[in-house]
Amino acid sequence: MSASPWEEGRELPPFEVAATMERVIRYCGLSWNFPPFFYDPEAARAQGMPGPLVPGPLKLGLLYAAVEHWLQGQGWVRDVRAAHRRPDLVGTKLRIVGRVARVYAEEGRPRADLELAVLDEEGHPTVRGFASVEFGAGP
Amino acid sequence: MRFPSRYAARVAIESLLTEELRSFIGRSGPEVTVYVSAGAVERAADVFRGTREGLALAPGAPVPGFVLAALESDVPRVAPPEPLPKSLLVSNEWHFERPLRLGEALTAQAKVADITERLGGRFGQALYVRTEVEFRDDAGALVARSSMTLMHYDPSGASPAGEEES
Repeated sequence: MSASPWEEGRELPPFEVAATMERVIRYCGLSWNFPPFFYDPEAARAQGMPGPLVPGPLKLGLLYAAVEHWLQGQGWVRDVRAAHRRPDLVGTKLRIVGRVARVYAEEGRPRADLELAVLDEEGHPTVRGFASVEFGAGP
Repeated sequence: MRFPSRYAARVAIESLLTEELRSFIGRSGPEVTVYVSAGAVERAADVFRGTREGLALAPGAPVPGFVLAALESDVPRVAPPEPLPKSLLVSNEWHFERPLRLGEALTAQAKVADITERLGGRFGQALYVRTEVEFRDDAGALVARSSMTLMHYDPSGASPAGEEES
């Protein structure tokens, strides 16, 4: 069994991503789901929101992308979870942060659990996340 | 015995988790075949990576799991009745037993995994509906699972601070 390249407690470098309208519209097309408050400012205001919201499932995919980026091809993502705490507005920058919470082996393969968060431009967590990764090419 | 009035008010609330609603727990939609196509992988990479650079698109090559976002849109859902007017995404999750591979066909099926009720709290009386989509290979082995929990609530019973709409 090869060892984990990560050690417990390691802080992973922040992964920044722009929650642009283009990205949101592409996501709506990908998932074929078009609630107007994701892309129409008037529809969002009619729902009592200050502006269009970043879809929650899009943020799950961004967490996945951050973990994949941190892995640098050294492994694959087994689990990723997002608990949505606050809305993020379209047009803002999101910062995804992660910390290696646990390194262990299962079925003879090195794995790690990560604690994740999406932070808004003020540094408030809008999503609490979790991921589990396995090092190596996979079964 | 007399109960404090606050407790009496609480127990007087009628549960929204009716037998009809409960009957949806475990109910599945039809099985459909979905394909891990190059187009789906590329479009998902556009969204989540912002680039298609670095994608290995040879048949059988492992592909990023975020392609599930595209695949699950092809899976018919089971829709329980919604007795409350608003809904909010509470959480969602992807689980993989192994990396997905380009070109593979998977059998996908959605189901209502659970429905629970919560009384009190920030959103007042609320129903939590957890749905899952399972993706299986030719042998029936689980390859991936996508799940999400939606909370249904009545804004008239909620506090002003809001969260994200689903």
